[in-house]
Amino acid sequence: MGGNAWRVLRPLLSRLGQAGLVALLVGCIGFALMHALPGDQAFRLAAERYGPDIVDARAAAAMRAELGLDRPLALQLLEWLGRVVRLDLGRSLVTGEPVIQELRVQLGYTALLAGMALPLSALIGLPLGIAAGLWRGRWPDHAVLSLAVLLRAVPAYALGLALMVLLSVRLRWLPPGGFEGWAELVLPSLTLALGLAAVSSRVARESVAAVAASPVLAFARWKGLSERDAVRRHGLRNAAIPVLAVLGLQLIGLVEGILIVETLFGWPGIGHALVHAIFARDVPLVQGTALIMGLGVVLLNAAVDLACLLIDPRRGRQAA
Amino acid sequence: MSGHVRLRDLTVQAADGTPLVAGLSLAAGPGTPLVLLGETGSGKSLVLQAIMGALPPHLRRTGEVVLDGQPLPEGRARRGLWGRRIALLPQEPWLALDPTMRALAQVAEVYRLVRGMPAPRSRAEAEQRLRDLGIEEAARLYPFQLSGGMAQRLALAVLRATDAPLLLADEPTKGLDAARRDEAALRLRDEAGRGRTVIAVTHDIGVARILGGHLAVMLEGRILEQGPSERLLRDPAQDYTRRLIAAEPSQWPTQWRAPSIAPPRPAGEAVVEGRRLGKRFQDRAVLREVDIAVGRGEVVAVLGPSGCGKTTLGDLLLGLLPPSQGEVRRAAGLAPWRFQKLYQDPPSAFAPHQSMRDALRHLGRRHGLAPTLFEGLRDRLRLPPALLDRRPAELSGGELQRFALLRALALDPVFLFADEPTSRLDPITQQEVALLLRGLVSERNLGLLLVTHDAMLAQRMADRVFTIEAARLLPAGRAG
Repeated sequence: MGGNAWRVLRPLLSRLGQAGLVALLVGCIGFALMHALPGDQAFRLAAERYGPDIVDARAAAAMRAELGLDRPLALQLLEWLGRVVRLDLGRSLVTGEPVIQELRVQLGYTALLAGMALPLSALIGLPLGIAAGLWRGRWPDHAVLSLAVLLRAVPAYALGLALMVLLSVRLRWLPPGGFEGWAELVLPSLTLALGLAAVSSRVARESVAAVAASPVLAFARWKGLSERDAVRRHGLRNAAIPVLAVLGLQLIGLVEGILIVETLFGWPGIGHALVHAIFARDVPLVQGTALIMGLGVVLLNAAVDLACLLIDPRRGRQAA
Repeated sequence: MSGHVRLRDLTVQAADGTPLVAGLSLAAGPGTPLVLLGETGSGKSLVLQAIMGALPPHLRRTGEVVLDGQPLPEGRARRGLWGRRIALLPQEPWLALDPTMRALAQVAEVYRLVRGMPAPRSRAEAEQRLRDLGIEEAARLYPFQLSGGMAQRLALAVLRATDAPLLLADEPTKGLDAARRDEAALRLRDEAGRGRTVIAVTHDIGVARILGGHLAVMLEGRILEQGPSERLLRDPAQDYTRRLIAAEPSQWPTQWRAPSIAPPRPAGEAVVEGRRLGKRFQDRAVLREVDIAVGRGEVVAVLGPSGCGKTTLGDLLLGLLPPSQGEVRRAAGLAPWRFQKLYQDPPSAFAPHQSMRDALRHLGRRHGLAPTLFEGLRDRLRLPPALLDRRPAELSGGELQRFALLRALALDPVFLFADEPTSRLDPITQQEVALLLRGLVSERNLGLLLVTHDAMLAQRMADRVFTIEAARLLPAGRAG
């Protein structure tokens, strides 16, 4: 049993190490990029805090002194890292509120959006992919392929705009943006889900086609199992393995999509917050947001790892 | 349980009407295995698929399959007999067992889902089937944790669970090394001994000999001759059968005299030499302290079962893999491409969309070789010019392997590493390619490292024979 526990622990430990690395890299790169941006940080911050009309060089200088922005950059970075180790993300330079406080609400909105988009993409992509795999080479296969290529080729903001024009402006079925209730959730999550489904339907198609033609399924039938039992007991799990593995990769695309989609639909999640913080040069907020996103990806990947371990016994076990 | 089968005028046609199996009439009953012996493309596997009712949809079948006096139903109704009246042992069972399910469950589900027994009894029965075949310790293992022989026994346990009177076996020894092959054939004979009707298809005379029973030799969709196995193999009437029997390595003429124990070094200078070679993959030592040298004009064979490290040894000598310990020395002043490799599976060694003519033209352009060179080699390898415009999928295994040989020889190699070069070929083709290789070694004075699991083949081809045991290279005795 010791070996079995290790089988689960090892990937989790390696993900934990990855999380540490992500925190370090995201923090450093975020910090470096923010300072590489043109424009004066203190000026931008003052403009964000007091309004752009009353800001002058004096206000900016006061801001600089108050926040200690004139100290060496390396020192500012080390300070941030030191705080992160103590699980403190610092305070927003604009509002003065703790970053964690600012993010708590926004993270909930993003989790809602992602939590809606992922199942929706599975609901759209998997049945289409399975149908294409079972009828490969025939019209459902060609139709699903064309759709997937089209959706994949269109960038998320264009797809979002197209859906907005069609479903909100023309048909007036759904609100084009905002966050009052469930109706506002539909368009952004659909935009995200379609992009993800374009990939997952292809993977499901390949995987189902391979399993359908495999000797494993043939032997299951030859044993005397009914088609339903053969697919249920020997087809689905084997077909799910590659689909699940690709889901892990897709999560990175999800983060990218969230940034664009939240901004486009004015959804108050952390992607939206990140874009705002970048404009305001609110460095702790940018670093904090990027950190949470990075750790989110690592966490979800760890969950995918566990799911893969659960359905694929070959992982982490010695072969004959 | 009975299980008398009669095929009446069984014919299988391709979509364009070409007969692949032509008017076959055969009978089989409990206790006496029926063996169909033939090469790839002789239609022998189609016969099994026709009995099973699992022919590819574009093929047409006529004629009758009668089981215990009743013609078998067509189409979907035939499927109702699977696992109840007819069972099929798949080729390479390790690929057909579900990689994500433990061994016991794969047997128990037959009792549970096909025969409708309650779960606890299904498990108990399944455990008994594993015990019967001596693999009870595999109950909680997954197929990838089993050896080839164990996987085959597990597949047999599944089929015993079905209790179907008719057992079909499609190339039951494919992919097994010589010792495992004999075991597998014996086990199948036991199935017949238990009162089942066994119909087996094979290209391997050794397997046919062990199975015994009734033998039918197939060529181009027809039965060439049939009769009691023992008599037919001893005294074949047809010239083709005689050639098939003569193609077994144990029947080859012995032309080379060799010492009973292989000397460690070649008589002349070595073209490739490995000293105290070691190789580890992760935590596993595949090779340890191996000293080997191959000289010009000699064949050195390395024997061993699958996975013993013999391919790794060849790859180390070629420099395709770096050694973990020790060093490799190749004859000085020679271009790296004069050390060549011949792969086990010819189709995977060629670009699938490229004709042979293009493949050779690219090679010629890369190395500045004259087209006349290729023509000379093509004649020597007996490859007619008509084959040049074909792609790999349109060539037979033997033709493709000879093209691979042509490709290697064009670069004027001093050393050739042949990795199971004939294991995927039919017996007569195997003999042709092997004798051709042997002839080329003396003719062109090159050193050949032959890696194989077939001891008889090694003894017929090599000057010196070694085996790999527990990661070490040992000289092997030679029967001559």
